[in-house]
Amino acid sequence: MTTCSKCRKFFPLEDDPKRGDCVQRVIDPRQAYYQAKPVAADKDAAKCPSFEKK
Amino acid sequence: MSVTAESVKELEKKQEWWWAAEKKRSKRLDYLRKAMWKKGAIGGLYPLGLYIDLERPVMQTEKAKELESSADPYVIKFAKMLAHVLDNKTIFITDQSQLVGYLGSHPHTITWDPSLAAIVNHEVINDPQAIPEPLDDNLKLIKDITNYWGGKSDFDKLLPQMDLGDVMKVLSGAIGWGVPLARGGYSGKDYEYIMTGVRAFEDIIAELDNRIEEADEKAHQFEASRDISELIDKMNNWEAMKITLEAGIRHGRRYARLARIIAENFETDSRRKEELVKIAEACERVPAKPPRTLQESLQYDLFIQLFSRNEAIEGAWPARPDFYHGPYYERDVNVDKTLTREQALDLAGEFLIRAAEVSQYKPKWAREGLQGIEGTWVWTLGGVKKDGSDACNGMTIALLQAARLVRVANPTFAFRWHPKVSDEVMREIFECIRQGLGYPSMRNDPILVANAMHWHGHPIEEARLWVHQACMSPSPATKAGFQPMRMANATANCAKIIEYVFTSGYDNSVNMQIGAETPPVESFASYDEFFDAWITQMKTIFSILVRPVNRARILAPKITPRPFLSAVSERSVESGLDVCEPSISRGNAWITAFTWVENADSLAAVKKLVFDEKKYTLAELKEAVANNWEGKEEMRLDFVKNAPKWGNDDDYVDRIMLDCLRECAKYSHELKCPSGNNWPILPENVSGNIHYANIVGALPNGRRLGDALYDGGISPGPGLDKKGPTAVLKSCSKIDHISDGRAFLLNQRLSPTQLSGEKGYQLWKTYMKTWGDLGIDHVQFNCVSDETLRSAQRDPEKYQEVIVRVAGYSAHFVDISRKTQDNIIQRTVQGL
Repeated sequence: MTTCSKCRKFFPLEDDPKRGDCVQRVIDPRQAYYQAKPVAADKDAAKCPSFEKK
Repeated sequence: MSVTAESVKELEKKQEWWWAAEKKRSKRLDYLRKAMWKKGAIGGLYPLGLYIDLERPVMQTEKAKELESSADPYVIKFAKMLAHVLDNKTIFITDQSQLVGYLGSHPHTITWDPSLAAIVNHEVINDPQAIPEPLDDNLKLIKDITNYWGGKSDFDKLLPQMDLGDVMKVLSGAIGWGVPLARGGYSGKDYEYIMTGVRAFEDIIAELDNRIEEADEKAHQFEASRDISELIDKMNNWEAMKITLEAGIRHGRRYARLARIIAENFETDSRRKEELVKIAEACERVPAKPPRTLQESLQYDLFIQLFSRNEAIEGAWPARPDFYHGPYYERDVNVDKTLTREQALDLAGEFLIRAAEVSQYKPKWAREGLQGIEGTWVWTLGGVKKDGSDACNGMTIALLQAARLVRVANPTFAFRWHPKVSDEVMREIFECIRQGLGYPSMRNDPILVANAMHWHGHPIEEARLWVHQACMSPSPATKAGFQPMRMANATANCAKIIEYVFTSGYDNSVNMQIGAETPPVESFASYDEFFDAWITQMKTIFSILVRPVNRARILAPKITPRPFLSAVSERSVESGLDVCEPSISRGNAWITAFTWVENADSLAAVKKLVFDEKKYTLAELKEAVANNWEGKEEMRLDFVKNAPKWGNDDDYVDRIMLDCLRECAKYSHELKCPSGNNWPILPENVSGNIHYANIVGALPNGRRLGDALYDGGISPGPGLDKKGPTAVLKSCSKIDHISDGRAFLLNQRLSPTQLSGEKGYQLWKTYMKTWGDLGIDHVQFNCVSDETLRSAQRDPEKYQEVIVRVAGYSAHFVDISRKTQDNIIQRTVQGL
């Protein structure tokens, strides 16, 4: 199964690798930024449009 | 010549300050300023491109459902909901930023708290412009969330315990605005506890642990009493406080982690990598431990503000940034020299931007009343220290300079002037005013310190530590002095007082009996009888507004607790009681008096034309105002032109103003807040003079239904001050600014041409000396020419950055309604 842990944008927590952050670059009409959203490593990423295989 | 080719000097000569600022500020500030999403509503609608953030309400609702079966008391469930949001919300770090933190998941989002009031949630459903795509799916989601919180929101829980008669009159929108909610108003902070560098979250957690341990031990000894029983509530409160503080520390560390991830995996620029590491170090340090540097101090403050706004909708931002961040500025810039002045200026400018972009979903009446801004975020600068010595420092100057570079309309500054303020600082203030920011407003510190002692009994050392609770009202940032929540519905539409004398208290705009049923106006045989009816209507309106606030304040600790705000408040950490508990607060209540001056001008017109000169009868006048002066234009003009008007140093009407204020002051000592303290009035308007234009009927000062009301708290009516600025000041100085009320807002327009150069500064300084000597507590200035403002009306795209002073706040001119724009242009330009 394609999971978040297999994505380049997934950064696991050091003390709990089953959880981590999905870190993405976003450019909106005014500014550019990096965002982080907590995710579980084993979350199904099959339908994630941002998924990038490691 | 194109703008880019023009020199800064040429732009300043043309008074195009906004373009000059763009050229003068650093590349970083320029990027961050342009990156900012402006959040203030325009015409009551959020600007295009902004969206309601659905991430938080979804998380909040999920957690609330999960906790339904938990045995936790509500305060702990509530704290866990806050913690859940802080642990799981999307966070972001904007390019070039050095300070981090935002309420929403993305920079262009407006946060929505569905747990506050079902009536607000229904406004969300009916605000399709602000609902993100896909519209149908998200509408369904919003409906589900709204349905869940129906009956569970703060206001829904509060309402059955209120006097519904009073609440209906408040909610009618005729005499006041706002709802009496502890999580929806103006929230002060105990800065003396949390911002002096003595302690931070870990220290407080250690103290809470000790208190819980002690209480637990005491609760299980061989005794039983009411005190022992109440310890259970206290332990729950302490536990909830701890949950929020721990969540705050974790939230800070999430930013630290993100900054390191960017530095180590994405960023290629070495300078930016270093900055990201510095952000990480700052967020690992604060809010857990006290800050060490200016950057950490600002970051710490920002986190506290955001956590508090995670807990409540805060329509104001009481703060004193130069006082509390000043020591770090001095150390970094002047002692350790780890920061250049320019670097400090960047941080100060970014701090303003970070505040300017904060947004929380508000109902339409609030957006209309606060045109162009998110709330009245009036930051306090200057003033004195606890010992009475001048408190100005390098950060005061840095903030004033940064304001001119970033030119945000919110936050604005209010400066606590006193005779020891240096010429250097006065020049910086003058530059902000001359460059058209409309701020700082000027506050007379010795008068207001005495006022705080007179009205609320704050001891002098605490009174000297006051900050603006909202636009105008001082409140000490101290243990017993600070005000955890000023509920905005004690805001009186005072023009109704005189209107109701003519209608015997019946409100024709909402078809309700709201005021007192005073005798028919035509039955009054003397001015004294007429004025007695005015006093009765005043007392009726004020008491209707105050009672729900008192009731809600008593209910707040149980129904609408504030565990985070409690956690950063010494009195709650010490007592285990919620921060809104009246018994641990000295009390600092006030009634905001919107549309006030119409009363003095109307009473003067009645006294002169009806009772003194007997040109008209009260019956004729009653009929004329009831019919909105239709067919009576000649009579109306008589009331406009031939009745004395406030602001012209005319004792006839000025005496009436004093009579009104002193009747209110007498009554203010009778009205008590739940802490047992007084309810003084504070005349000012925000944008209420426009908001109420169609709600207040025709008045004896010659005003017609629909005409804008006067703009200030004691400002003369626009164009009615015929005798120059000194006469205005003389009228205003007849008021005792210590004992006649809590504060009095005075708007003045000055000519930018007259204020140019050194001569302009000296003129203004002389004016300010007169103002200070006369003991007037407030004055603020608009200094943008009619020509610029009319050009901005014709070509708004070109004048996007022109700022004006509206009332107790500033706004970008293009973001306010045409009626408000016209009202500002109509204000008399005073030649000094």
